[in-house]
Amino acid sequence: MPQTTGALVERFVYALDELAKAPSFAKPKYQTDVYQEANRLIEAEQGLENLYDYAHRFEETGVFQDGPWESAEKLQPPLVAGSLKAKGLPMIIEVLSELRMLAIAEGKSTNQNVSPKVAEEFLNEVMVLNLNLLFPDASESSRIEKHENDDKAEKLFQFLSSHLSSSALVQTLIDEITRLTAQRPIMIKRIVSMINMAKQMLNQESDEEDREELKQFIAAIEGPSPLSAKYKEIHAYRAQLKTITRSDLISESVALAKSMRDTGLVAPHHATLIRFLSKQNPGLLVYALSLNSKGSANLEENRELVIQLIRASIFPGTRQAIYGLAMMLERGILSHSPVAPGLRRLVELDIRPDVRNALYATTNTGEGVTANSILVAGTIQVLGQPLGVGQGFNPTCQAARGISLWAQHAPGFLLEIIPRAARDGDLDFTFEGTPIHSKGLKGGLAPELDKELDPVSLVLVPHLDKIYSEMMTRVALRGEDGHRWVNPAFYGNWVQKGFSSVFDPITGYVLDYSGFVKLFYATHHPEYNDDYELIYPNPVGIFITNVHGKLLGLHAVSITRIKKDPQGEERIYFYNPNNDGSQNWGQNIEPSVAGNGEIEGESSLPFHQFTSRLYAFHYNPYEQGDAYAVETSIVQGIRELAKDSWGKDYTWV
Amino acid sequence: MELDQLELNATVEEAEKTKPYYTALIGWSVQAIEAAARRNLPFIVVGPADFQTYAERHDIPFVGWDFNKLNEGSDQLYKQLKEMGAELAVPLYEECVEWAGALNARFREDPKVFNRSLLLRDKGMMKRKAQISGIKVGVFEEARDKDDVERFLKRVNEALLKLEGDHLDPIHVKPLDKAGSVGHLAIYNKDDIDRIQDTDFPLLMESHLDGQEFSCEAFVHKGKVRFLNITEYVRLGHSNFVPASPSLEEKRPLIQQAVQKLVDAFEIEYGVIHPEYFITQDGTLHFGEVAARVPGGHIFELIERAYGFSAYEAQILCSDPNTTEEELLEFFPDPYDYQNYAGCLMVHPNVDYVEDLKIPEELEDHPYFEKHDMFTPPQGKVAERVGFGNHYGTIFFYGPNSEEMTDLLKAYEQYNFYV
Repeated sequence: MPQTTGALVERFVYALDELAKAPSFAKPKYQTDVYQEANRLIEAEQGLENLYDYAHRFEETGVFQDGPWESAEKLQPPLVAGSLKAKGLPMIIEVLSELRMLAIAEGKSTNQNVSPKVAEEFLNEVMVLNLNLLFPDASESSRIEKHENDDKAEKLFQFLSSHLSSSALVQTLIDEITRLTAQRPIMIKRIVSMINMAKQMLNQESDEEDREELKQFIAAIEGPSPLSAKYKEIHAYRAQLKTITRSDLISESVALAKSMRDTGLVAPHHATLIRFLSKQNPGLLVYALSLNSKGSANLEENRELVIQLIRASIFPGTRQAIYGLAMMLERGILSHSPVAPGLRRLVELDIRPDVRNALYATTNTGEGVTANSILVAGTIQVLGQPLGVGQGFNPTCQAARGISLWAQHAPGFLLEIIPRAARDGDLDFTFEGTPIHSKGLKGGLAPELDKELDPVSLVLVPHLDKIYSEMMTRVALRGEDGHRWVNPAFYGNWVQKGFSSVFDPITGYVLDYSGFVKLFYATHHPEYNDDYELIYPNPVGIFITNVHGKLLGLHAVSITRIKKDPQGEERIYFYNPNNDGSQNWGQNIEPSVAGNGEIEGESSLPFHQFTSRLYAFHYNPYEQGDAYAVETSIVQGIRELAKDSWGKDYTWV
Repeated sequence: MELDQLELNATVEEAEKTKPYYTALIGWSVQAIEAAARRNLPFIVVGPADFQTYAERHDIPFVGWDFNKLNEGSDQLYKQLKEMGAELAVPLYEECVEWAGALNARFREDPKVFNRSLLLRDKGMMKRKAQISGIKVGVFEEARDKDDVERFLKRVNEALLKLEGDHLDPIHVKPLDKAGSVGHLAIYNKDDIDRIQDTDFPLLMESHLDGQEFSCEAFVHKGKVRFLNITEYVRLGHSNFVPASPSLEEKRPLIQQAVQKLVDAFEIEYGVIHPEYFITQDGTLHFGEVAARVPGGHIFELIERAYGFSAYEAQILCSDPNTTEEELLEFFPDPYDYQNYAGCLMVHPNVDYVEDLKIPEELEDHPYFEKHDMFTPPQGKVAERVGFGNHYGTIFFYGPNSEEMTDLLKAYEQYNFYV
């Protein structure tokens, strides 16, 4: 006879009582039994409901004592999914921890450091980050990656959502969508799935304001103009286009372009319209792309090429490239002599079968787009949105940073290496006089590349990653930070030869931090660097810290600009390839992605805050200002921020 | 709560008469600390320095000590504990036995206490002492290298009148100073000899003993066995239960006699000992080995389940010369006074890579099933096993019939919980 839920509850309560009685040092001994019984309940019918009846006792009895879940205020929503997917113990404790949070949110228990509001926000954030579990979709990837624990996690989220207010959840979701779209990433899959989730969650009780805000996003991907809203089906839409007047075509173009400009999201109808116009009425393309004067001049100058590119690459399946095209035209990049032939070459490039397959996988089956179309569209996107390049789920920030830099300043070079990789399956870089071919290299940081990447990254990252690793290996024993030599060789001559790092290369201790900070100010801060402007992006190394300032690891970003923001404060604007430029780094250091003078795709921080997370940078040794002039109070302030965060993990001398 | 406090207040006057002293628990064991705390005993824990932060966080008086480091600084431990007011040391793990012995020798100003503890740490010396005292043991020798092992295997089998080509009778080897089954090997031929690790030398070799193997846990005070538990092994290192089945329990008087003889021979005065014996059909007892620490195989937990007293408390009680007869009488139950058998199965993964955990429903639904402590493991390679120590999990049973218990333990020992 299988045990009834009632019997399991009894066993659980017994174990919980035993834990409650145990002296603090012996808690771990009794926790095991509580976890065991909790696990049985999680699997049982109505188990979560029954567990939740006791959730207000979890903290006082010591369910989380001495473990990673001990302090509720230190928990982080992004880590929840990982624990829920892990087998065994982490999943069990994570579930108990969520129930504890819910108990706090609903006022069933109190926690000195977590208010009901904070607990609710935490849970909302968790829900938003795990929407795929709340609303399981039938997509190929989620089917393949189906995890054993998904059922349990699904159950948990259903339970939580029944207790949480749906309007708060929708609000969190909209904030998240706004935050992500502000950065104009090339890859928008995640944003689209969030919009779809939010749509499903809208109901009678939803806030009117939220409803309006969300409507704009939904329209952006489903049909933002009167005509596209009326004819959702793109065949019907295409047929309609043939029947309407020129002035209606213009207003249709303007409507679609406005939505695209507002959200960075492109509707499939937009692709149909652009294709239609390129054949029938190329003069109207300027409306459909909503180009500024520079953009329209560039379109005029290269009209034939643009039409050719549209025919070759703009399809409903590659619709996001319309935004890339508009941005590319406004950058005036087509007038750069190697770009036009470089793009033309891609249209007929003989792509290797493995690359071909990888490219196909980026679109949905049945869209009938060729690998060349995908590659051209992807290249247009990278050239138009260099700051929209992301590393996806791969630890390949260096490669992403390179693609972004070349797209900005060396499009000719980028258009050289894309066909090399796609056709020849090889890239060669010269490092200190010796050629390095990616073909023969093994390993790299991401031998198993996650395929959720833009087409250009998909083609280039496997090679760039291996080459970068190989260069680092070759300098590994030089007793100094290898980035000094590798960065200029890898990224090109745009990177300055001067290099400074906080670490003593031999011991790994933090050495002369004040000198490091002063040098950075003297070479980068407009008040101390004799007004030398930053011309090319500076690839720098930063410490990534979590919301509590704890060191998570080292990361590569590029400083793009240094300027006074609209409020008159000096800010560092930078490109963060990790697709999420506005994470909270603790100590009130929160990079912003909009509202402080950022260009789309940039993140920014006040100068001193950014400096406090810096560990290595390049500089021009011939363009140094006055290091001695930097006020001690500034250096001291930065030093304190550093010592209280990542500095705790290092020895300071 | 209030009752407790009343009692506490009542003993204050008495406590003033006898000087208050601390008990030093040698080795880190949460169960032992819990037992000491439950007895309201002032105590100090001496353990590996790794536990320092944990101890501080939970206000446990703690002295960090590396038991493997032996030098002229070792005296420091005694001085430090003496300073803190300790007068008694209780060993919890094999490596701690001689440390506790040394400390108690100083506390009691009786150097022999230390020598006796060494006797329990050297399997060769232990056997010799037993033999001298007229206790039945197998043939044994100490070996310094593989040649010694080969010679011994040959000589034992010559004595058994084996001819060239006959299957040899096995011998057993175990490192002189390792806990329980660590490094224990049965040697049948030359290949087995090659499997012996060089680090296991010097080691003890002994002839194979036939019969049923079992262990005893004897709580000794003033040289007298105050309570004797008999643990039945279903399969050594995998499953055992307490108390032993009726067929073994009926030999209790005989066993009690043998254990007392051992205690006398080894001049053990205080604490717990954990000897292992082989018993043949006709009731002949062969002595295997003895340790003076907390036994493995969750035996203390099984004793608590079956007899209802904490074996950890019992150990501390018996280690203290100041414990009175009345306290002992009140503490220990009649060994025949038990309701059910408490058994456990230690689960070892039978595979090299662990992917998942499968607990059959019939097991959880069996009336004897109490609990287990296994969780689905993060996928990974199984650690190589040392002795019987690092099993992956334990399943506890409790029920009225020793035969059913034996069958259960045997059946699930074959089961692959990990796949």
